[in-house]
Amino acid sequence: MTRSLAITLNALGLYAIALVLLVAFGAQLILHELPCPLCLLQRIQFAMLAVGPILNVRFGPRPSHYAVSLLTAAAGAAFASRQILLHIMPGDPGYGSALLGYHYYTWAFIGFVIAVVAIAAMLMFDAQFKESDKAQPLDNFARAAVWLVLALTALNVISSLLECGFAACPDTPVTYELLKRL
Amino acid sequence: MKMEFTALFLAVAVVMAAAWWGTRTLALALFAATLVAAVATYLHHASDVLKLSF
Repeated sequence: MTRSLAITLNALGLYAIALVLLVAFGAQLILHELPCPLCLLQRIQFAMLAVGPILNVRFGPRPSHYAVSLLTAAAGAAFASRQILLHIMPGDPGYGSALLGYHYYTWAFIGFVIAVVAIAAMLMFDAQFKESDKAQPLDNFARAAVWLVLALTALNVISSLLECGFAACPDTPVTYELLKRL
Repeated sequence: MKMEFTALFLAVAVVMAAAWWGTRTLALALFAATLVAAVATYLHHASDVLKLSF
């Protein structure tokens, strides 16, 4: 795998992360389902997954950048698995709506596991790590991917502020705490 | 803890900005701090008493 192909695949990974964050926003805004604290933590981990690919796009692929993503995916999978276990008892309806038969935290767990496998697959191609000290000319495809995840993360800052307000976030949020004060 | 999720999202946005405009070392250091903060927030919530009804 060439260096430029690896960077393109990292940009595609950023678009995949953006899609996950957009679907989460879709559920929140269209279905009016506010994310719980554990759901927010999983969203945070999805956003953090973007840091490794951003570093790869900017500085060129390095194993340490993939390690950043692996650590994030491992933490995200742990957070999601806790929420799956919280609702594993028979008869428990789970938190929020199901999408294609699975709740969002189950999809999150699957997503983090897919990320681990994808990162491991990327690490198998050593040729991408050659000439890692040279600056890469950035194309618009990768640049737009970075701006997209940055914008979605910034929107999540605003969304979580509206949802939780200036206090601790409720365990089962049903309304935007900050908007209640207005 | 107040506003922990807003603070974490803001921290992630800052890490991304550092990765895009700053130095590698700064981005990696900020990433490590944010990951520790996220895990600490998770452990804080995971240690809450569960309201189970058997």
